[in-house]
Amino acid sequence: MPIVNIDGRKVEVQMEATILDAAQKAGIWIPTLCFHSSISHLATCRLCMVELDRGDWKQLVTACNYPVRRDIVVSVSSENAVKARRGVMELLLARSPESEQLKELARRMGIEGSPYPNVTESLRNCILCGLCTIVCEEVIGKSAIGFSGRGVDRVVTTPFRQLSEDCIGCGACAYVCPVGTIQLRVHEDTGEIEVSPFKSRAKLLVCEECGRRLVSEPVNKYIMEKVKIDLAEFRKYAKLCSVCRRKKSANILSLGTPMNDDDRKTENIKCQK
Amino acid sequence: MIQPDELIEQIVACYDEQVGMLIPMMQDLQAECGYLPAEHLRRLAQKLHIPITRIYGVATFYASFRLFPKGEHTITLCLGTVCYLKGANRISEAIQQEFRVTPGGTSEDKKFTFSPVNCLGACALAPVMIVDNEYYGGLSPESAIEILHNIAKGKKPPREDQQAEKAKSVGKTRKAEKAKSVGKTRKK
Amino acid sequence: MNQADVRIDTFKSLELYRESVRGHARQTAKIVRVCCGPGCIPKGARRIYDLFRKAIDDAGKRDITISLKGTGCQGLCERGPIVTVDPGNIFYLQVHEEDVAEIFRETVLQDRIVDRLLYHDERTGAGIRTSQGIPFYQGHVRVAFALCGVVDPESPDDYIGAGGYAALAKVLSSLSPDQVIDEVTQSGLRGRGGGGFPTGRKWRSARDAHGEPKYVIANGDEGDPGAFMDRALMEGVPHAVIEGMIIGAYAIGSSHGYIYVRNEYPLAVERLGRAIGQAQKMGFLGKNILGSGFEFDIRICRGAGAFVCGESTALMASLEGRVGEPRAKYIHTVESGLWGKPSLLNNVETWANVPAIILNGSAWFAAMGTQKSKGTKAFSLVGKVRNTGIIEIPMGMTLRQIIFDIGGGIRNGKTFKAVQTGGPSGGCIPEAFLDTPVDFDELTKLGSMMGSGGMIVMDEDDCMVHVAKYFMSFLKEESCGKCTPCREGISQMLFILERISRGEGEPGDLAKLDGLADLLAGTALCALGKTAANPVLSTIRHFRGEYEAHILQRRCPAKVCKGLFFYEIDPEACKGCGICLKQCPAKAISGERKKPHVIDRAKCTMCGTCLEKCPFTAVKKIV
Repeated sequence: MPIVNIDGRKVEVQMEATILDAAQKAGIWIPTLCFHSSISHLATCRLCMVELDRGDWKQLVTACNYPVRRDIVVSVSSENAVKARRGVMELLLARSPESEQLKELARRMGIEGSPYPNVTESLRNCILCGLCTIVCEEVIGKSAIGFSGRGVDRVVTTPFRQLSEDCIGCGACAYVCPVGTIQLRVHEDTGEIEVSPFKSRAKLLVCEECGRRLVSEPVNKYIMEKVKIDLAEFRKYAKLCSVCRRKKSANILSLGTPMNDDDRKTENIKCQK
Repeated sequence: MIQPDELIEQIVACYDEQVGMLIPMMQDLQAECGYLPAEHLRRLAQKLHIPITRIYGVATFYASFRLFPKGEHTITLCLGTVCYLKGANRISEAIQQEFRVTPGGTSEDKKFTFSPVNCLGACALAPVMIVDNEYYGGLSPESAIEILHNIAKGKKPPREDQQAEKAKSVGKTRKAEKAKSVGKTRKK
Repeated sequence: MNQADVRIDTFKSLELYRESVRGHARQTAKIVRVCCGPGCIPKGARRIYDLFRKAIDDAGKRDITISLKGTGCQGLCERGPIVTVDPGNIFYLQVHEEDVAEIFRETVLQDRIVDRLLYHDERTGAGIRTSQGIPFYQGHVRVAFALCGVVDPESPDDYIGAGGYAALAKVLSSLSPDQVIDEVTQSGLRGRGGGGFPTGRKWRSARDAHGEPKYVIANGDEGDPGAFMDRALMEGVPHAVIEGMIIGAYAIGSSHGYIYVRNEYPLAVERLGRAIGQAQKMGFLGKNILGSGFEFDIRICRGAGAFVCGESTALMASLEGRVGEPRAKYIHTVESGLWGKPSLLNNVETWANVPAIILNGSAWFAAMGTQKSKGTKAFSLVGKVRNTGIIEIPMGMTLRQIIFDIGGGIRNGKTFKAVQTGGPSGGCIPEAFLDTPVDFDELTKLGSMMGSGGMIVMDEDDCMVHVAKYFMSFLKEESCGKCTPCREGISQMLFILERISRGEGEPGDLAKLDGLADLLAGTALCALGKTAANPVLSTIRHFRGEYEAHILQRRCPAKVCKGLFFYEIDPEACKGCGICLKQCPAKAISGERKKPHVIDRAKCTMCGTCLEKCPFTAVKKIV
């Protein structure tokens, strides 16, 4: 197994592991924005630059997707690597000056503000990392949003910039967005969740017992289709919030209410989990 | 006018439903319809079992794809280095101003679609534009505007000392492409 | 133009067919070649071809046979349309429709020369009969372009008669794949698309890679503005590209090929498509090629308008029906390329060199060129030079030889200022380095690169800041936008250059441009981003004074950047006609009739109308 010498610390990693894997193992922090362990490497933000020592020359590479295939020597704290990461962050801050998350990350890197003016327009601080699009495609499987345009006109949008027919209002995109561009908003009056800025809305289910908000209806439907268990009892539980669900089970167990066959089956399934 | 479903069926069949041939399929669709209608693209996504998001991304990435119908005449102005050095950007500005059209867009009266490109490979004629498959070289802002006005009026622009020549059309019809068999192999 | 319906199944039958084509050709008394290359077609070459066709057909009652060919690029595009007549290789330039009848009557039917259509020596005025005597053609060695301008690109018989597919026959009959790779390696051939990677080494890696099927790809996405050699090649000798690809496929063990041609070259698509169809019919493509058992076929795909698709991983993404976004090359495409399979991608010019190397031997190729850059290279020589066109010369010729001997020096009596090479990844080289030999490495030392072969000559009227700004704005539009440094960094650099060219430059600007250039080179994802800053860097390096004049003095020495120079009326030349006064939109000109007029600088918006309209060229730009 190859050994990565990273800032003097030596760690052994699997073949084809990345430099980022090695850094995590060695306990060395490298800032990232477009990296997420659940999806394929994007390597779009270029923030995780490190310097590879190839003996007679040095090369800047992205840590998140550089595959380790033999023993290598990497420097995270070299002057070139630090300068490269600073430069990239300064460009990002110039593009997206209002993102608190971005500014926080910059501060952690020791960077305050940017020497560059804002010359490109970002949609609410979007840095075009691509996490939202790839999560929707690979993890959720809906591809409700994607990139359109090219270069500085590149934006994340729904097809034809119209309301998406595919969005299920799961909020995964908002969850992974590293700069706070995508926000989930709950509309009290209509009982809907909105994925902003894509304007997709979905009705939220409410707990039949206590009225607390659950997931969106399309997410519920989507999971039901994927799970393919056709039990009436399962469906009953599906419309309860976690608190009420536990209460119902507890009631059935403690009060000795006779369980019918279906209840027992459901209990068994739950126990097997 | 052929129905979207049927047209997409035909196009997809031409390429044996290979997803890798998405761009040629879209080129054929645009050659047939003059642009890429949304309805056809959605049908194409269904037929190929890929998300419409992906097709929309491809349609908006490549400069030759249009999501809106084009004008009666397409102005392809070269903005390559040699043409640029000879003042092509002033010609571009003049066209935009005179016909109230933006790069890639179509004038309101639907007469002209203005499509600047980065190099036509005809550097000896710089600055050069192609309108309706005819080359016009050695342009100035004034001469370009005059040529275009003549074309809009339906008059053949005056022949200069240099002879303009018909270039082959960029957007051939799908049938013509099939007949010329551009290297497509049928898998048995 | 002939369509071959015959299928050639064995090496022997190929030789017999070649002999029969040559025998037929020997019966031809005269050959008229009309250049139908990229420079001549827009000047009316097709009409000239048609007129010759009619003349030959009308003169039916003659007892000699005349062959008419519409050929690929003859080279000297500046002086097109070009018509040649053989025997004798009589070379006629700037032929008009009206000249056809005379050429036919005098030269084709009667062996007489039409002197006024010849090239004339600049000093003596003497007419030069053949291309060999013309300065533009001195030093040319056509390897990739050997048959371009000679054969009819739409005739496979022409290609075969001239030796076409003999290299393929030699490979399939007597060389193992390893031997082919050795031959290409020893020739020293390096990628002609700009990267200059040793071709033999790439083929070796592709051969050794694991995975099926393997793909062979020809990059015909020539996107560098000002470069049109690949276009001329694809339109002029499509079969040479095809033959090279078949040989490469055999060498690495591939049966699937693609030629990716940019969308803006419809004639190249058509000619290659026709050639592929002919090759399939005749048996050079498909199953059991020439009876060897080897199988290979090619498909053409058109680009859709994206310069970035000239980059190999973006090109492959496009072939997969995706947006043309490059990806990291930590794993090379020979290992994992199209559809994740081993893919051998080479530029069309590289492929076109292969048959010649196989036929003439690696030693022959390696004897040309310089130590590290073997063979020849095609260039498109364009811009402010007198003789523009396509040239193919041995590596190592100097810029001075190319621009002044071949190119004939600067037109209109102006002074040379710079030559731009390597397209948007290259840079501008000033006069001081004109004696630099042109090859893969020498120009890179100067901050430029040889690139794919575009050579744009600039004179005293070109502003280097303006040129840098042009390339930056080109790249901004063509950047795919995937990675931060390219997308944001190029925009920042363009912003600074626009400020400078408006006269709003600030003292720290050059340092900022330097810093951004460094950042791009180190952190961008692909070669487009990494080399994006070269035009800016090279112009700052070689023309720093010009930048400083813009920034510190708000002056554009070349008098190009609007607002950074002045318009003035020369009182000696001014006749007081009043045209400029009437035309000035800012009413900044005053003067009485027949007396010299004056421009009020305070009111002048520097639109340039007065200079354009003045019939006495009395309006001057001063700085």
